Amino acid sequence: MKVEIIEKDQTLVAKLAGRLDTAVSQEVSAQLQPLVDNADKTLVLDCKDLEYISSSGLRIFLTIRKAAAAKGGKVIVQDISTEIRQVFMMTGFLNLFEVVSTAE
Amino acid sequence: MAKRTLLKKESESTRKAALNGFLIVIVSMVTLEATSLLQYYFSTKNITAEANRRAEGHLKATEIQILSVTDQVETAVRNTIWSVQNQIGKPDSLAAITARMVSQNKVIYGSSVALIDKNVAPYSFRSGDEVAQSTLATDEYDYKSQEWFQKPLEISGGYWSEPYYDEGGGGVIMTTYSVPVMIKGKPAAVFTADVSLDWLTELVGSVKVYPNTYNFMISRTGRIMVSPAETLVMRHSIQEVAQKTDGSEVFAEVGESMLAGKPGNTQLKYNGKVLRVFFDTISRTGWSMSIIIPEDDIYGESKKMGFVVLLLQILGVILLIVILYFTIKNQRDLNNASESKNRIEGELQAASDIQRSMLPKTFPPFPSRDDIDMSAAIVPAKEVGGDLYDFYIRDEKLFFCIGDVSGKGVPASLFMAVTRSLFRSVSNHEHSPAKIVTTINNTVSDSNDASMFVTFFCGVLDMKTGHLVYSNAGHNAPFMLTDRIAELPVDPNIPLGVLPGFKFSEQEVDIKYDDAIFLYTDGVSEAENINHELFGEERMIKVLHTRRPAAEQMECIADAVIKFRGEAAQSDDITVLFIHYLGHKDTEDGKVLKMTFDNDIKQIPKLEGFMDEVQEATGIDTSLTMSLNLALEEAVTNVMMYAYPKGQHGNVNLKAILKDGSIEFVLWDKGVPFDPTAAPEADTTLGVEERAIGGLGIHLVRNIMDTVSYENKNGMNILTMIKNTK
Repeated sequence: MKVEIIEKDQTLVAKLAGRLDTAVSQEVSAQLQPLVDNADKTLVLDCKDLEYISSSGLRIFLTIRKAAAAKGGKVIVQDISTEIRQVFMMTGFLNLFEVVSTAE
Repeated sequence: MAKRTLLKKESESTRKAALNGFLIVIVSMVTLEATSLLQYYFSTKNITAEANRRAEGHLKATEIQILSVTDQVETAVRNTIWSVQNQIGKPDSLAAITARMVSQNKVIYGSSVALIDKNVAPYSFRSGDEVAQSTLATDEYDYKSQEWFQKPLEISGGYWSEPYYDEGGGGVIMTTYSVPVMIKGKPAAVFTADVSLDWLTELVGSVKVYPNTYNFMISRTGRIMVSPAETLVMRHSIQEVAQKTDGSEVFAEVGESMLAGKPGNTQLKYNGKVLRVFFDTISRTGWSMSIIIPEDDIYGESKKMGFVVLLLQILGVILLIVILYFTIKNQRDLNNASESKNRIEGELQAASDIQRSMLPKTFPPFPSRDDIDMSAAIVPAKEVGGDLYDFYIRDEKLFFCIGDVSGKGVPASLFMAVTRSLFRSVSNHEHSPAKIVTTINNTVSDSNDASMFVTFFCGVLDMKTGHLVYSNAGHNAPFMLTDRIAELPVDPNIPLGVLPGFKFSEQEVDIKYDDAIFLYTDGVSEAENINHELFGEERMIKVLHTRRPAAEQMECIADAVIKFRGEAAQSDDITVLFIHYLGHKDTEDGKVLKMTFDNDIKQIPKLEGFMDEVQEATGIDTSLTMSLNLALEEAVTNVMMYAYPKGQHGNVNLKAILKDGSIEFVLWDKGVPFDPTAAPEADTTLGVEERAIGGLGIHLVRNIMDTVSYENKNGMNILTMIKNTK
């Protein structure tokens, strides 16, 4: 699991690559703390290379989403795979996040 | 029992030594006695023969000397007879002849020619240096009635008279040789030569065959001629002497034999002394000579010698007894000292041997079972060590253990024996390895004054399911042989005997068909070669890489260790245990895949590999695989989070039963009862502010799986999840 955060203007882009399972969730959660800290800005979760996500990963997403809601920021989930989209569907996350696709 | 036997052996050996000693004394005594008796017998025989030889030789020599004198006299007489014949009628001439006889023959004392028809008998005799003349024809003498005159005429030949005292001749013993002088075939006179027997006394008396030899000579009538007892000489006969002697009969016999002219020897007693009497007759004169030798003289030396020899023998035997006594005593002392040491070591060794002999050692151990192939071996070091292993099947469960007691020698082997018997007794009514190990630990810790400990691995393998529960007490992690070789994860428990009351944990793993477990003691991994390099785990794995039948595998390991060690000595027991699981190949329902997790979320990625296997086995697509992976992760994570209290170790077991049209996932653990299906489900319709962080997991499981059910059975949480694939 690889996490890379790029700050650009008032936007923080977190590039997630690999499998976000319970084993790495704590670590990833810590790595994504800057997003929680900057919840007043636009936060982009780039999931182009995210292969897998479990509930612990979803919880991180939710935590960030809640922080943004509290601080007036915005969360964009970008380029999720079909499988992850299904998970988002199952969990009602599609209703909570702005899911976009950059592939055109 | 063993002690009694040893004690018996000790007293037996001492008794044996004493008996041997006694026999040595007896045999040497008998040998010595027999030898000296034999020697005495032969030496006596020799001495007797020697005495005979000497006595007879002396008799002969004396006779020869006597004969040389008598011959001289007889020759002189014979040679002079013709002169006497010629001058028979001339008395003066006859006197001249006799005078010449005396002067010319020194041995002749006097000589006479006594006529028969006339009373004429001129006599010449030695008187100092001169020869004096006299006559025997006197009235008082009446020579014609004398023995010397009558006897030769009677026998018509030379005759030696009985010895007699010659008063006129100075009181010397004399004998007379007389011959008849024939004139024209008729005796006309008797010609005599008197011989003094002074020399005879000296001759006979002088020779001493032995220091106390007693020589004497008798005449033909038995009159004593020569004797050391001078009072007897010429006054008594042998017959008279015989009557005064103790052994009179014998003496009389001797006298008779002597008088009869027979040579011989005999024994007689005189004054309490045993005497040896040798006798022989001197030819012509009729005299007999006898040599009497006290037997003390003959055998005295040999008897003295015999006495000395006997004394030496007694001394020797006493010395022998003393030496033997101290030898046996020393031996016994030595035995007692070393025996008490040997006895203790021997008995303890025997105890550990007995224990070890009770370890299973018939391989294959379960010949009737096709679901297991196992083997074990101990290569004991020279010094008694403390390795152990054991295994048996009860209630379709294989109970097995391996252990290594710290240190070596008798204490270690005793500790080993105790541990092993505890394993047997505790595991007999207890299924849980953790409890077995804990109980053993409490028992050995309680009475562990020697501060010994034992590293111990205990496993219980369910033969039906391949589910292995194990507890490791500080022992080397065993190797699991699946499609690869890796150490079985073991909790860092302490060895047995260190801390009473310690709670040992247990772990679980599912073993698949054809998997194997290899257990060993550090005698294998720490076997040293001459360069002090260790055998190590790499070399072990290298051997294990080739799959072989269990017994062969054990041999290969042992061979590899021995080959590696080379000239270096084996310092520790080498113990190996190999369990090749061949059960649970297929279930009725289909193929079963299994996986066991520690209650650690770090193990979650293992699921991906498991799902790859499921996908490969079932052919389901990647999307479904991922979904199932997600559901399982949620379920497994749930157990990890909630089934075990924080910090407590536990296992989470997962198996997939691959059926036609469905996959049945079973997740079970032995943690606290926890029903995930009872947890409140997340409301996915709520907004961001209202949404709870938790509750997503079980929601995902329910969404992905077609059926989800929970049960708590036999102390286990069992979550069954079914996914239809058609």
